Amino acid sequence: MTGLEILPADILTISSAGLLIATFGVVVRRGFADWLSAYRYQTIVLAGVTAVIAYYTGVWEIYVAAALTLVIKAVVIPRVLVRVTRKIKDEFKIEANPYVGLRLSVLISALLVALSYALTQQMLSSSSLDVVAMTCLPVSVSLFFIGLFVIVSRRMALNQVVGLLIIENGLFLFTTALTHGVSLVIEIGIFADILVGVVISAILLFRISQTFDTLDIGSLEKLRDD
Amino acid sequence: MTEMLTALADAAALPTVSSALLLSMLLAPVAGAVAVTVSRKKRAAEVATAASASLMLVLAVALIGAVISEKRISAFGELFYLDSFGAVVLLPIAGVGFISSLYSISYMGRQYEHDLIDDRRIIRYYQGFNIFLLTMLFVPVSNNMGTMWVAIEATTLVSVLLIMLYTKESAIEAAWKYLIIATVGLSFALFGTVFFYYANVTAGADPESAMNWTGMVANSKLLDPNIIKVAFVFVLVGLGTKAGLAPMHTWLPDAHSEAPTPVSALLSGVLLNCSIYGILRFHIITSGTLGAEFSSQLLMLLGVVSVGIAAASIYFQKDMKRMLAYSSVEHMGIVAVAVGFGGFFGIYGALLHIINHAIAKPLMFFASGSISHKYETKAMSEIRGIIKSMPVTGALFLIGGLAIVGMPPFNIFVSEFLILSSGFGSGQFLPSALVMAFLVVIFAGFMRHLVRMVFGSPKEPGKRLPAGMAKEDEGRLAVVPMVILAGLVVVLGFYVPQPLQELAGDVAQIFGQGSVAVSPVEGGASG
Repeated sequence: MTGLEILPADILTISSAGLLIATFGVVVRRGFADWLSAYRYQTIVLAGVTAVIAYYTGVWEIYVAAALTLVIKAVVIPRVLVRVTRKIKDEFKIEANPYVGLRLSVLISALLVALSYALTQQMLSSSSLDVVAMTCLPVSVSLFFIGLFVIVSRRMALNQVVGLLIIENGLFLFTTALTHGVSLVIEIGIFADILVGVVISAILLFRISQTFDTLDIGSLEKLRDD
Repeated sequence: MTEMLTALADAAALPTVSSALLLSMLLAPVAGAVAVTVSRKKRAAEVATAASASLMLVLAVALIGAVISEKRISAFGELFYLDSFGAVVLLPIAGVGFISSLYSISYMGRQYEHDLIDDRRIIRYYQGFNIFLLTMLFVPVSNNMGTMWVAIEATTLVSVLLIMLYTKESAIEAAWKYLIIATVGLSFALFGTVFFYYANVTAGADPESAMNWTGMVANSKLLDPNIIKVAFVFVLVGLGTKAGLAPMHTWLPDAHSEAPTPVSALLSGVLLNCSIYGILRFHIITSGTLGAEFSSQLLMLLGVVSVGIAAASIYFQKDMKRMLAYSSVEHMGIVAVAVGFGGFFGIYGALLHIINHAIAKPLMFFASGSISHKYETKAMSEIRGIIKSMPVTGALFLIGGLAIVGMPPFNIFVSEFLILSSGFGSGQFLPSALVMAFLVVIFAGFMRHLVRMVFGSPKEPGKRLPAGMAKEDEGRLAVVPMVILAGLVVVLGFYVPQPLQELAGDVAQIFGQGSVAVSPVEGGASG
């Protein structure tokens, strides 16, 4: 174990950077297919990071979580999304006119990453953290913030789903890094919720595109108080 | 030898019976959903759902009886856990679930006759209805806070499906906003929950059981205060979104007004309680770590803002169901404020208020469902003279409305009176006075709409009823559930039954010290 201690930590650092790069992939692109491949890449790296954490901590349940991540989130969810959105017109899949321009988005995302590092340093410095937590926590909080930012700054409903998925990846990394795996039952419950949630949102997306003939959520404004 | 065996059996008897009760209660809606799926017929689905819901109610009442005598019940080791606090939340789930399953037969039947919904969708409705009840039942019986989170997230997903049943534009829009906002909110709650777990593990708890509420509360004095502060804020924002606390309530009026009416009753009367319940569980832990002040003041703040925003929205509201939805924001705000006030009467009042609201709001939704069928609109300006066109429904609508705005001698007056007097009594003058002022605005706004709808005369001059409308209430199946609820509204206005008093008193103790002192075996962190 002692001889290997440095190596997994390096892998963690490098792959955490990979996670951030993939997230920026969503921020800078305009097309749904690009977001989806960035998300898939992000999730594969996440599964890798999880496996390293499993190796590092020696908790077998985290291996299971890594495998589930790979199968459900890197394979099943993108497929479901592609299949359900096949009938949606291509023009609805492009973020032509986001609320916040792409260049500014990149800048804000970078600031959010910096903020995440500052916050996690400040909050958790008092308690003793291991290498896994030190490396992964700021990244996971960054994913959470950037996912939130994507949801509020984009007009296309598909992009909001991708934002939710990024948030969820951030949460998963956060949970695994901080607690080295809550119990497997809960992990499976969370996975099931996500899977069902994605299926439902995909059905809703299709309905919106049919009924409103757009996926621009800026034009969903039937429900008002006046 | 035999003596020993009987002694053992005696010792084990009560817990075994009650954990069997708990499990079979959870299985009732599962059986309902399976029966609906197998039968695939409208009539069979109605009967199966009503039967499973009544079974659930009977089992839940038995279970609550057991909680009153035993104080706590657990099953599957420590996975399921029901104490007096859970029981107070369980009662409306089972009660309103049952009443709503009866009203569904009439309401959805009418929708079916008017071709607003087809055979396939009506089966889906009853499947969803049963599963929705199941997911809500999981909330008060989960000891593990992770499981509770999974259950609450599942309630969102199922209720989104129920709202999506209609293909109307407005329903789809409401479903989308609800799904996105509630899911983002709940991701905050999960962050917070993990923080609590982490704090508990670093305080030396066994990781296997560190996610359990009982464990967190027992350890609450040892948790890292800095982490708990952040964790509670995350949980409050997250579950507060789902509980409709302002300013995170924006999805609520849309979702609650666009859902099928029996589901609106469940969303407003029951599901909001489940989310408030989650917040308060964490509030108890946080109070153990930081003292009551930190989380109480946050709850008070959000509560007062909620009541205020609801007051403005109710006053200027045009849509009947949206008005009722905003009134739910108001009442959840009142519950939050009451818990913020704390003390025996604050907590007692909050719990009573949860139950009172869970009775009065479904009554209002059911009546509004029948009314909007009759008048074919939800716009309040189009609805006049209900008391003439539907005498029974009109009278019940009036009773419910008077109760909702807190008029004596109805039930909500009692809890609001308790809450406000505990607020003034504990020296919280500013929030108490603000809430009182907002309640006056709500009273004025709500009554203005209510009186015009019930007693106003139709636009056509000289006629007592709008053109082409017969003087007729909806069928018995629509009226009976409302009569039951209105009866409870009146009865609870005069006295609080002994078992309910006992439950609420026990919960006030739980808030004080984590568990009821009567059975000090496991004990909480004693305050």
